[in-house]
Amino acid sequence: MKRLLAISGLLVFFAGGALAADGKALVGKFKCADCHKMQGPAVKTIADVMKRKAPDLFYAGSKFNRDWLVKYIQNPTKLRPGGVVYLNHIKLDGDQDTVGKVLKCASKLSAGDAEAVADYLMTLKDPDMKTGVFKPGKVKKARAKMVMLKKEACNACHMFPKKGGGVSCPTFEGIGSRLNPDWMYSFIKNPRKWDPKIWMAVRDFDDATLQLMVNYLSSLK
Amino acid sequence: MRKIGFFNLMMGAVFMAVPLVALLGSSDAAAESAADNYKLYCVQCHGTKGVGKGINAPVLAVAPRNHTSAKDMGELTDSGVFKAIKEGGVAVGKSTQMPPWGGVLTDDEINDLVKHLRGMCKCEGKK
Repeated sequence: MKRLLAISGLLVFFAGGALAADGKALVGKFKCADCHKMQGPAVKTIADVMKRKAPDLFYAGSKFNRDWLVKYIQNPTKLRPGGVVYLNHIKLDGDQDTVGKVLKCASKLSAGDAEAVADYLMTLKDPDMKTGVFKPGKVKKARAKMVMLKKEACNACHMFPKKGGGVSCPTFEGIGSRLNPDWMYSFIKNPRKWDPKIWMAVRDFDDATLQLMVNYLSSLK
Repeated sequence: MRKIGFFNLMMGAVFMAVPLVALLGSSDAAAESAADNYKLYCVQCHGTKGVGKGINAPVLAVAPRNHTSAKDMGELTDSGVFKAIKEGGVAVGKSTQMPPWGGVLTDDEINDLVKHLRGMCKCEGKK
């Protein structure tokens, strides 16, 4: 019985490895690197940020939840209402800036290919990111909203479900399905570790506030 | 022609490589011009024309400041503008929607931004 289990384990291990390798080939086949940065480090100048066509994926395995990736790769949607770099999508309407044409990823993969690509992307991890930092707990919705909407005004740039918000940054709709909470914790704590020229302010949040916010964001499925 | 020994060549390569590695290994983002910093960080709310009509402005409870208004900007001191950029709107009794950029911009970059804003409003700060 033990031998059978060991063989099954090995088969699963090798199948998973093969799938990730297939995923790497598919990333090449679909030319994902034409738009996404598949290797670090992140760019460090505004001029280089302006050339960005799609989100960096070289730490996708730290950032995303695999299940969400599998679904998204089959049917990409617009997660950044103002585009990946909002400055590249501004259209003037008199004196008022509006969002011009924003394209979503044109690649729609089959379920099988999406599984393989997601497996490969999940191997692209940042070895320095601490895991197990996020402590799932009771979602204190009212308190989190007080901090995020009233005190920090995150809705100035991010859209909240049902509440609306700014368009220069990714929407919070479905963020709980999309992102790994440990990555959210790390990003909110220091966005510039991940993207040195991100247009998000750095706040000095303590652990309790970070846990409060990430618990709330994780509940937005 | 004098031959360069292998040892000398290696030492030269090492000395040249050290500053290069230090440069590439640095996690600090490069300092930018005030115009570029304004573009990346301020335009999302204050707009490409600086009149307070950025893409996020329609959802903001308090309208972002019009940086081209000599009347409005002339009422602010340079140190007050510096503080608002560095510590956020709350630090100067204004909106929480103006975030603190002190963790993103250096003091020198903020000082350059203050000068940039004075160029936009074509006005001097209140003394």
